[in-house]
Amino acid sequence: MLRIEEHPILTFEKGKLVTFTFDGKELQGYEGDTIASALHAAGVKVMGHHHVSGRPRGFYCAIGNCGSCLMIVNGEPNVRVCVVPLEAGMVVETQNNRGDLL
Amino acid sequence: MYLKTGVADKELVSNALPTEERRGSGPYAIIECFQEIPCNPCTEICPFGSILPMDDINDLPRMDYDSCTGCGLCAAICPGLAIFIVDESYSDTVASVSIPYEFVPLPQKGDIVEMMDRAGEYVTDGKVLRVVPNKKYQNTPVVTVEVPKDKVNEVRFLQPKQKTEIAMPKADPDDTENLPDTTIICRCENITVGEVRKMIDQGYDDFDELKRLIRTGMGPCQGRTCRHLIMQEISRRTGKKFDEIELGAFRPPTKPIQLEQLIGGKEDV
Repeated sequence: MLRIEEHPILTFEKGKLVTFTFDGKELQGYEGDTIASALHAAGVKVMGHHHVSGRPRGFYCAIGNCGSCLMIVNGEPNVRVCVVPLEAGMVVETQNNRGDLL
Repeated sequence: MYLKTGVADKELVSNALPTEERRGSGPYAIIECFQEIPCNPCTEICPFGSILPMDDINDLPRMDYDSCTGCGLCAAICPGLAIFIVDESYSDTVASVSIPYEFVPLPQKGDIVEMMDRAGEYVTDGKVLRVVPNKKYQNTPVVTVEVPKDKVNEVRFLQPKQKTEIAMPKADPDDTENLPDTTIICRCENITVGEVRKMIDQGYDDFDELKRLIRTGMGPCQGRTCRHLIMQEISRRTGKKFDEIELGAFRPPTKPIQLEQLIGGKEDV
């Protein structure tokens, strides 16, 4: 578990435990998480692969700037999962290309 | 040097100290705040008006040491953890220093802790006199430690007694110079420092030119991660000053947005 349980200054209130799927696997996270933080807490370190070199992409800026965590969420490609709140039943998939339009 | 390392030197610190006479006559706050930033909780919290009102919120705090009682509220409220309470009148041989400490676990009264200087180097051991949790003021606990009198204005941080020596990597803020050629400088487009160096050496010494040639800064981050690193590299290899190097063009939208947001159907996250 990568969650901070004890912090000298801040307190973290967790929302309801919800279930979502990541590449077909069922995972759990808390309401109030972003998709990326829920994945990270569940041990998912690789958010995708570079569209040319295939190098793995990690959780990097965490504020929606870097584009390192683009994923397919509920069928929509290029979603910055580090700034999108987690919802129950979300279908999250890794994206290894530039993302296809519908 | 201070701006580069963040470590205040002797001169800066001695300027912040009160007179010898005041130092011997009871606890006082020492404010080691040396960079003008818009910040004033210390002047607002001081119940004795000892931290003088600022004309401008960017001003450095100034002290009236005659009215300061060393109560410690400023040490707990300072977001930069830059205020310490020193009591040199504590005894003939030892003095006490109160240090804001934002780590877990908190030390306990009576613990022997290692005291470090402003650069994080070990100076001496100290004994914890008290720990004030400060739930009222943004939760920053303040730990008061007894140290040898001559060291009291040298030590500014504490850590639990280390059972084994921990080798701390020395951070050098300028060390981007020694990046190996294989380091990725532009994450989105997967471009290495080596590729950028090769282009600069061929005369492409402008951010926009590099962009057109090797796509640095053209991925989803739009240069937010790599722009300054590449400009530093241009500066180093051409000898041009960093501020003479063009930032390159920014074209909207500067971050990934949905088409739906453009037509006004959805708010940005």
